Amino acid sequence: MANVPWAEVCEKFQAALALSRVELHKNPEKEPYKSKYSARALLEEVKALLGPAPEDEDERPEAEDGPGAGDHALGLPAEVVEPEGPVAQRAVRLAVIEFHLGVNHIDTEELSAGEEHLVKCLRLLRRYRLSHDCISLCIQAQRQGFTMLPRPQVIRLRWPPKVLGLQNNLGILWSEREEIETAQAYLESSEALYNQYMKEVGSPPLDPTERFLPEEEKLTEQERSKRFEKVYTHNLYYLAQVYQHLEMFEKAAHYCHSTLKRQLEHNAYHPIEWAINAATLSQFYINKLCFMEARHCLSAANVIFGQTGKISATEDTPEAEGEVPELYHQRKGEIARCWIKYCLTLMQNAQLSMQDNIGELDLDKQSELRALRKKELDEEESIRKKAVQFGTGELCDAISAVEEKVSYLRPLDFEEARELFLLGQHYVFEAKEFFQIDGYVTDHIEVVQDHSALFKVLAFFETDMERRCKMHKRRIAMLEPLTVDLNPQYYLLVNRQIQFEIAHAYYDMMDLKVAIADRLRDPDSHIVKKINNLNKSALKYYQLFLDSLRDPNKVFPEHIGEDVLRPAMLAKFRVARLYGKIITADPKKELENLATSLEHYKFIVDYCEKHPEAAQEIEVELELSKEMVSLLPTKMERFRTKMALT
Amino acid sequence: MGDSKVKVAVRIRPMNRRETDLHTKCVVDVDANKVILNPVNTNLSKGDARGQPKVFAYDHCFWSMDESVKEKYAGQDIVFKCLGENILQNAFDGYNACIFAYGQTGSGKSYTMMGTADQPGLIPRLCSGLFERTQKEENEEQSFKVEVSYMEIYNEKVRDLLDPKGSRQTLKVREHSVLGPYVDGLSKLAVTSYKDIESLMSEGNKSRTVAATNMNEESSRSHAVFKITLTHTLYDVKSGTSGEKVGKLSLVDLAGSERATKTGAAGDRLKEGSNINKSLTTLGLVISALADQSAGKNKNKFVPYRDSVLTWLLKDSLGGNSKTAMVATVSPAADNYDETLSTLRYADRAKHIVNHAVVNEDPNARIIRDLREEVEKLREQLTKAEAMKSPELKDRLEESEKLIQEMTVTWEEKLRKTEEIAQERQKQLESLGISLQSSGIKVGDDKCFLVNLNADPALNELLVYYLKEHTLIGSANSQDIQLCGMGILPEHCIIDITSEGQVMLTPQKNTRTFVNGSSVSSPIQLHHGDRILWGNNHFFRLNLPKKKKKKKKK
Repeated sequence: MANVPWAEVCEKFQAALALSRVELHKNPEKEPYKSKYSARALLEEVKALLGPAPEDEDERPEAEDGPGAGDHALGLPAEVVEPEGPVAQRAVRLAVIEFHLGVNHIDTEELSAGEEHLVKCLRLLRRYRLSHDCISLCIQAQRQGFTMLPRPQVIRLRWPPKVLGLQNNLGILWSEREEIETAQAYLESSEALYNQYMKEVGSPPLDPTERFLPEEEKLTEQERSKRFEKVYTHNLYYLAQVYQHLEMFEKAAHYCHSTLKRQLEHNAYHPIEWAINAATLSQFYINKLCFMEARHCLSAANVIFGQTGKISATEDTPEAEGEVPELYHQRKGEIARCWIKYCLTLMQNAQLSMQDNIGELDLDKQSELRALRKKELDEEESIRKKAVQFGTGELCDAISAVEEKVSYLRPLDFEEARELFLLGQHYVFEAKEFFQIDGYVTDHIEVVQDHSALFKVLAFFETDMERRCKMHKRRIAMLEPLTVDLNPQYYLLVNRQIQFEIAHAYYDMMDLKVAIADRLRDPDSHIVKKINNLNKSALKYYQLFLDSLRDPNKVFPEHIGEDVLRPAMLAKFRVARLYGKIITADPKKELENLATSLEHYKFIVDYCEKHPEAAQEIEVELELSKEMVSLLPTKMERFRTKMALT
Repeated sequence: MGDSKVKVAVRIRPMNRRETDLHTKCVVDVDANKVILNPVNTNLSKGDARGQPKVFAYDHCFWSMDESVKEKYAGQDIVFKCLGENILQNAFDGYNACIFAYGQTGSGKSYTMMGTADQPGLIPRLCSGLFERTQKEENEEQSFKVEVSYMEIYNEKVRDLLDPKGSRQTLKVREHSVLGPYVDGLSKLAVTSYKDIESLMSEGNKSRTVAATNMNEESSRSHAVFKITLTHTLYDVKSGTSGEKVGKLSLVDLAGSERATKTGAAGDRLKEGSNINKSLTTLGLVISALADQSAGKNKNKFVPYRDSVLTWLLKDSLGGNSKTAMVATVSPAADNYDETLSTLRYADRAKHIVNHAVVNEDPNARIIRDLREEVEKLREQLTKAEAMKSPELKDRLEESEKLIQEMTVTWEEKLRKTEEIAQERQKQLESLGISLQSSGIKVGDDKCFLVNLNADPALNELLVYYLKEHTLIGSANSQDIQLCGMGILPEHCIIDITSEGQVMLTPQKNTRTFVNGSSVSSPIQLHHGDRILWGNNHFFRLNLPKKKKKKKKK
């Protein structure tokens, strides 16, 4: 190596690294890659100084170039080979340069050139893949397989799906699957390499940049380990994204979960950021009905969030933009909202599995689930073992302590449901502390809607009808004030949601009161009045909803938009029904009500006749409306006769 | 109709001089409302997706590549006609309207939005349309006020581009229940002509550039929002009152698609090197996306979003009855293939943004079951009545139907008349000690009364005749219970209630009176539930106070 001017090589290499770290916006507007190109030139010089690559004495690569084509590097090596001797050392050094050249080309959008360099790098390393000297470089080079995806595949999420209800944000890439799978192969191979290395060697490997550092500047074992583990953490994270692209969502979630776990293990996290990520991950789990995992994420989120301010942010974490108190309170409110959804979904899930065809508690199903409970408890340990668990020691204990206070099993009776309800309500209050109506109208309303939903599902478990009625009353009491000040110009949709929900709640109350009256020996005029008032209120809110569909000139549309078609038809249907249910002693009023009821049924039938596409939205309701349209006139006729008769 | 949907348009710019000189291949074409993106490299293997043409459909496709191809060329006027006019109208109706522009730098975005002096783009056309109309329509009954604001959203921070003090203070986005989404402290300047707007915009753009340079940021990574507020005041000269309609017009320049990718700023693209510390910050985005997709249509999830300002911005534009258009601009050149594809995809996704006004429906099962029961009941009554009806009843029904047909009165009048008749009848009945029974009315428990029986269930048990100590029954006016019809004599029968509470029936001579099916000619004691027939078809049942009778409301 005497012929290589070593000092010059190192100097140039360091300069190149420094240049490639220059942030792009520091370049002139017209030449965004200026620094990258300079770095590249330096790297090329270093490469020239190092001389040609050593002849690959044994097998020449049997396969063609290209990451997808060759089977090089992807299979696991049989044994650990350390690069010894000058030839091997030079090969490894060249590999480092090739690696950086590859990254450089990818950074400047020259993907295929980048690919070539990386393949060269991997080829130079192939014999030493598992070695202490090369493993880190090797994994990093393979990982570039990820960044080598054609750009359109790396889909950006600009339209926030929350507003847009977009599904499948990332799943539109079927056509390019093949290439993602290539990336996947690289990343999985790296994962396997890591696992094998840790098993067979274990000591922290050399960092690739060390190769061009003077001996005295070599990294400590601790630093090496940190860098190497970080490389692996990133690898997991990239795999998470690849699985997401491949629509293997469970796997993607698992890898996100593992990434979070490693961040904890290596103390490389910012508490607020970590907590919100874990809490968000819980939302994935609750929709997959994995409530134990969801609970674990949420509990860990609470514990880690509690560390905010106590632990100084480590150097690995993003700049502490999270120290702003406002963001702290916002995240706290958001974690609370994730908890609310947990409680709500668990309860609603229980309701779904225990209700009969009209939404009432089915005692048979309830006892079936009770019988199942024992089995669920027996399996608890094995499920827990399968799941990724955060933290060890004290942290683990702290998380368990939170977990113990809340069930992950479906509530089977009122008592169990009440526990979840109270927890959910606790978080409703917490979320409302930040999401106040003043300043956060939409968020505040969403929280209140969740609160209302908690009451609603609790009412399912309540057997006493009077108390059930009171729960619906509470819902109305919290929702009604919201609509008062809400400007429909900005909050049309949310206004409609609330109107609909209030109307439904009044309807439910009316049904309950009728059932209560039914059981009374002497239903008095008082309860009749109450029933009629509830009826009237339900009517009012359905009408408000229907009025919101009118155009600026207050005309009801000829054609109802598809997004509101079904709700509009349902509102009409319920209005028709409500008119038919008004209790009156006055035959004239009764006749009037029947006529109005008929009018609304007729609207549904006529509309569906004119717009056949509407019919499939409300098949059953339409069929019944048709019946009523044919039967009601006769009933009214008879009613009139009856009046005339006397 | 797609009223609530975002209208998406794509516009293709002509080749620029450099591209023409280099004979760059054109890879984009338009066919009606479809954009076809042809492969750059035709040598790719068959299976390679990059070798296949890609087709995207939009609401409008503007082919603006060559002005000389008259039938195909979409000029500034056509773009305005398709996108701008509707939006202008909406602003005058007091609703919000919004145009998003998206596209790589150099794809013709500013030409489309701003245009040139002789080829004005969407913004100048909208503004001149706005002022033309306000000036024309202004009179003593209505006046208009136009205000503008201009802000920039960069990295979750909002900056006022028209701040006279030029401070770099970041502002907060907020929501108000009446005023809607707003930016706290954003300056709003009154303008009277497009010239004012133009100069304010260029001022704002200057401030944007300065800020970007000072802060080492890229302007192409920030969204710029120019908002025009139109306040339409209507005066009622007579009453001296006035009312206001406020419409907002937002023109949003979305962050560019190109350099964001190159710097990895958009998130999914992870970088090594200098960014290694930060790269995991995007973990949150990935987890959010996962949580998002898991729920599907189910609303039951809460995903804390990182780009809350953009969410907020869209909320303003998609919230109410607003009209939203998006125009994406692309270059036809082969060397922009990747950017063009990503822009087309972006626009394609925007197309599917429908604001599901999702209301949480409750299951309808109960009400359906309920109504089914009623339908059954009604049907049963109908068939029963038909099978059992006497000819007389049928005649009467037909007669009343004829009567109704003859009446050419409106429904309301009909109802009113019905009511009058009913009231009269009721008065009359009350004077006779008869109360009209209807479903839901309970009869006094302590009274003795007769209730009518009828083969038609709908007519059965409707009439209640309270019995006094001495009740006369017959067709004459002097009788307490007046019946008429076949077989009823002026004085037909007497019912007495004794002091012990016994009820005695005494038929008059030669009258048709039956109790429980047997003919009666001499006084007889009646019991609770006894059936009485007078004449040919007056059936009654006797009710005595001993037993309570409950009528349930249906």
